Amino acid sequence: MRRLRRFFRTPEAIAGALILGLLVAMALAAPLLFPGDPQAIAGPALLPPFQDWSLPLGTDRLGRDMLAELFHGARTSLAVGLAAAAAALLIGAVVGTLAGFAGGLIDEVLMRISDAFQTVPSFLLALAFVSIVGPSLGVVVAAITLGVWTGPARVARAEVLSIRERDYVAGARVIGMHPLEIAFREVLPNALPPVLALSSVIVAAAILTEAALSFLGLGDPNRVTWGGMIAEGRAVLRTAPYLSIVPGIALVLAVLGVYLAGEGVVESTAVRRSLP
Amino acid sequence: MTVLAVSKLSKRYRRGGKPLAAVDDVSFEIGPAETLALAGPSGSGKSTIARLVLRLLEPDAGRIEFEGADFLSLSGATLRARRARLQMVFQDPLAAFNPRATVARVLDDPLRIHGIASRAERPRRIAALLERVGLDAGLAARAIHEISGGQRQRVAIARAIATQPSLIVLDEAVSALDVSVRGQILELLLDLQRQERISYLFISHDLGVIRAVAHRVVILDAGRVAESGEARAVIDNPQSTIGKALVAATPKLNRNTPP
Amino acid sequence: MTALLSIRDLSVRYRRDGIEVAALKGVSLDVEAGERLAIIGESGSGKSTLALATAGLLAGGAGIGGTIDWQASQFQTPRSVAPPSVLPDISPARGEIGSSAAGSLAATQEIGEGGDDDLISPLAGEMPGRAAGGATERRSSAIGDNNIPLLGRDIGFVFQDPSSSLDPVMPVGKQIAEVAHTHLGLGWSQSLARAKTLLERVRLPDPESALRAYPHQLSGGQKQRVAIAAAIAAGPKLLIADEATSALDTIVQAEIVSLIRRLVAEDGMTLVFVSHDIALAATLAERIAVLRHGELIELGEVHRIIDAPRHAYTRTLLDAHLGLDAEPLLDRQGASA
Repeated sequence: MRRLRRFFRTPEAIAGALILGLLVAMALAAPLLFPGDPQAIAGPALLPPFQDWSLPLGTDRLGRDMLAELFHGARTSLAVGLAAAAAALLIGAVVGTLAGFAGGLIDEVLMRISDAFQTVPSFLLALAFVSIVGPSLGVVVAAITLGVWTGPARVARAEVLSIRERDYVAGARVIGMHPLEIAFREVLPNALPPVLALSSVIVAAAILTEAALSFLGLGDPNRVTWGGMIAEGRAVLRTAPYLSIVPGIALVLAVLGVYLAGEGVVESTAVRRSLP
Repeated sequence: MTVLAVSKLSKRYRRGGKPLAAVDDVSFEIGPAETLALAGPSGSGKSTIARLVLRLLEPDAGRIEFEGADFLSLSGATLRARRARLQMVFQDPLAAFNPRATVARVLDDPLRIHGIASRAERPRRIAALLERVGLDAGLAARAIHEISGGQRQRVAIARAIATQPSLIVLDEAVSALDVSVRGQILELLLDLQRQERISYLFISHDLGVIRAVAHRVVILDAGRVAESGEARAVIDNPQSTIGKALVAATPKLNRNTPP
Repeated sequence: MTALLSIRDLSVRYRRDGIEVAALKGVSLDVEAGERLAIIGESGSGKSTLALATAGLLAGGAGIGGTIDWQASQFQTPRSVAPPSVLPDISPARGEIGSSAAGSLAATQEIGEGGDDDLISPLAGEMPGRAAGGATERRSSAIGDNNIPLLGRDIGFVFQDPSSSLDPVMPVGKQIAEVAHTHLGLGWSQSLARAKTLLERVRLPDPESALRAYPHQLSGGQKQRVAIAAAIAAGPKLLIADEATSALDTIVQAEIVSLIRRLVAEDGMTLVFVSHDIALAATLAERIAVLRHGELIELGEVHRIIDAPRHAYTRTLLDAHLGLDAEPLLDRQGASA
């Protein structure tokens, strides 16, 4: 409760939480409000917004309902963003903990692998991966994860390096605890807070990467995505700019919301963390 | 018969490229139900010896024989199993426990790891351990950071005796405590020693405390043994330079009227 | 003798989650000019809070009541002032109090929960860097009055942990010189010359090169010597040592205690020595004040306190001391076994 109250003290956090709440509501409500296939034709093509109130945001070049697409697109964006971030944090935390706790050769090998991933621009990596394996939701998530797991891994490793020198880790060894149990039960939970602080940046980056992949036609073709909608509108950008602008705004808001909410969380825990 | 025999133990650190002897050719023995104190100024190697004996650090040279067997040759699962007999209590009881832990979890770990009690039996064993160190069994549900420093050190002792060790290393275990609490903890340690015949390797910078609870003392200076012997004899009449300096530096309370 | 400092009914409360924790409850105490007074107590007794309040170093969120009179300039009539730290922290805006209280929320956590965790650590942790520099500016600009003691100029303060009270990235000579420069209005070259003299006075080996050393190059005892040099650089009338030897080993502790004794005698300073160790306090002080749970329970001459304590708690503290002449606990146990 106290943490919640502290969280809602900053205007950024409130704005972020509102935007995120709206997005989540959109994603959850999509199948209820628009139960049919969002990619089905719903009316005349290129109907501008606010003309026909059964199609409030109008239609695209093929006559598909923009509002339905926007709602279903929120599902994809959030799902990919959260799944990729969760995977990246999980892999990063495990790799970082192993590297930091084991030290020596294991640390060297894991960190050189992480270096290799870091030197390749993460978007290129995702692009290459999807073009080889083929576009589907799972592949897109994996492709994005490949590019971002190194950040959490490095943070986790640094944190583990300091924690492993603490007395309670020595104490766990003295009572005969297995090294793996020490690493994942004693050390990792205490190393997590700064790693989790990265999550907002990673979710935001993942949403953007997914949109970019979809824009280039490398998203899951069976799903509506905001990136795909923007790409779709590109051909008629002069005559019907709203086709690109509406999903574009949604994308900006989503990234902003995630980022602001993440900042709010970091702010609300900052006071606690700065003290010993 | 000895519980612990340390011979010619050495450990060097590298600082700025040049080796620095933290522990240099140190030997001592501890018998059953005996308290051996290690004393010395900071940097004399006391804590390094504690960590070497517990295999938290590996020595460069020397032998450690624990309960008649070579302790340094053990590794992996055999070492972990052997650790049940050789326990430790740290100086700062707050730092010695996982900040997220509860009292119950802290005491559950050793019982579980060494298969001392079944899952169903453990809560009862934990309650018994808490009572053994003079704490209320109801404390089990509390978080470590919620209880007082003296209570924490009692929990640390309960954890150390959970596996029925023959030797406990006490690394400045009473130094951070208030004097009024310190006396009670020392009494508890002596009581455990008498009842369970536990030996202590008692590390302290405080000669007053050592004189009160230790049978024998080893005074260290820059990683080497300066002198050793029966605790009261050494402290009342130190022979080495460092021993004399330590005695001279210990604050004295010259009370003129008996309490 | 005149009282250099007279503390009347001082109480300090910390607030945590809406719960008030009293660190000091109505403490009244006179510190005589030129005396060596020891304040002893166990963790949670409020001894460090008393030292910090006297120096005006309490964190912003603390609620302070009572008065601390400073009579440093004897020709002026003493005037009652509220403890200094209240002035800058509360006056500007009410909103400030809320946020600073929130800041110290976590800081006072230890006090509320642990109970026996000492008050010093969270508070000292919040304080800005140097031994006697940081906190002074904000107050000196507001009040240029002689009746309010100025930390650094009138009061020197030595903390327990010199590695956190010294600036890690500034040569120690400069840290000492800064105090002289700020409070005595000396030029930098004069200040540095003074710093060198001070390093000689605190018996740092090779003061010339020590001037340019950084704290990490010095041992714990040497760092504490530097902190003491910085504390006395402006020639304060009062030196407060808050557990200044507790982090050091026995031999270094004895050296620092004798250094403090010598410096106090040479400069005619008044000393307030805060410690948990009654035996150590007795070797240095003329009078001892015993605090417990925020209350002053006994105050008197060292010999009187040690030989004829009036309060049962003082007797408990004395009995709990394990000196080199104490009867070993081993024997007591053996007899009963």
